[in-house]
Amino acid sequence: MTTGPKLVSILRQGSYLIASIHTALDDTQMVRFQEDLVEQIGRYRSRGVIIDVAALDVLDSFGARTLRTIAEMARLRGAVTVIVGIQPDVAFAMVSLGMATGSVVTLLDLEEGLAFLDSRTQRNATSGRPALRTLSRGAP
Amino acid sequence: MVRRIVAARVQDGPTADDLVQETLVRVLAAAPRVEPGMLESYAIVTARNVVASLWRERDRHRRNQHRVVDLLPEQTHDDGLVAQEEQNAVVQALARLSERERDTLLAHEVSGQDTRSLAGEIGSTAGAVAAQLNRTRARLRVEYLLALDQAEPPTERCRPVLLALSSGDRRRQREVDAARHLLECDLCARLSEPLMERGQARDDEIRIPIHVDADIVAARQAARELASRLGFSKTDLTLIATAVSEVARNIVRFAGLGEIVVELLDQPRRGVRVVAMDTGPGIADVEQALADGYSTYQGLGLGLPGARRLMDEFAIMTEIGRGTTVTMTKWREER
Repeated sequence: MTTGPKLVSILRQGSYLIASIHTALDDTQMVRFQEDLVEQIGRYRSRGVIIDVAALDVLDSFGARTLRTIAEMARLRGAVTVIVGIQPDVAFAMVSLGMATGSVVTLLDLEEGLAFLDSRTQRNATSGRPALRTLSRGAP
Repeated sequence: MVRRIVAARVQDGPTADDLVQETLVRVLAAAPRVEPGMLESYAIVTARNVVASLWRERDRHRRNQHRVVDLLPEQTHDDGLVAQEEQNAVVQALARLSERERDTLLAHEVSGQDTRSLAGEIGSTAGAVAAQLNRTRARLRVEYLLALDQAEPPTERCRPVLLALSSGDRRRQREVDAARHLLECDLCARLSEPLMERGQARDDEIRIPIHVDADIVAARQAARELASRLGFSKTDLTLIATAVSEVARNIVRFAGLGEIVVELLDQPRRGVRVVAMDTGPGIADVEQALADGYSTYQGLGLGLPGARRLMDEFAIMTEIGRGTTVTMTKWREER
């Protein structure tokens, strides 16, 4: 990926993009991640985006804001975004910090995220793509 | 190490060897009186003093034998020049001590008089003499560095700050706000390096310079790691890391240059203190900055108020044109 080897990976699966953040990102890297992801949504005509933040040690105000921005930009480009993998401690810190993250869909893990996207994109489906949860989950 | 110091100052080998021996004997004799970990710096000071006393002797020698042809080789190359400069610095530094300080120090270091007999002479206790000697050594180090640098401190605060650093007195360092001064004063920042290097391997404090984005991550990770040693819960560690992240970002965004000090506390309870200071423009309206939703950049406006909610104690000091210091503490829940 354009962000370099290890920090972030953006994988394409069908009409979804699955972005995993592998390590703590600084602000510049976070913004680059945002740019890359939004660009790929267009390039692959993605309908859904899952961002896995399980590896993040901290989601501070900037990190949370960037995720919100990504979700909003993705929406404007026609894709649904789900954030998955927020750790319990990180969640507690976000609440204590006073962050409002209500406008973004967050789910427990990748599996839930895929299920959600399947149900969402099927309902609005124009492609007629079947919502086969088991298939999506089993695919590499 | 002692050999290196002596060799840098004395040219001919046999004399240098003698001086090294003398220094080592004195250091070994003094070892029980010297704090552990301080032996090295003690040895340095002793070596310098031994060398200095040699020079004084030679000087006298030369004055008394002025008719004898001086066979000492001219010290022309760089080593000689450096040695000469260092010697001058030691002499100057010694000259800047008060007479009493100098006498006591020389009696102790050069003549090998112990603290008890010194105490007897001036009607004091051995402990007090030792403490005074420590202060004198601290001063000597400061004056030596100043003399070597041929610098006169630009502000009134420089000497107290350098002295506090040299003596390793943390309470005093806080009183004179040493950390902030080092951010503001180039001379002291430079001189403080050799002063801080000596002595302490302090493992209950971390200093992280804050300048670019990546430093924010470095600061919060360092804070988390240090705090984890006190047995904070994982949840608390994340709160601390998040708070550090917020204040560090403020430094990068608004000041451009600053420092975060993370320090473990024992008193009154176990906890971790984070001091974030910068030399930025200062905050014009602190209340506004502490209010939720106030943001001057593309953030959530949660930086300061958020960090305040994450920690147990939070204080902010700011001065327009000079900078901001945020001090926040998280106490460990005793279970």
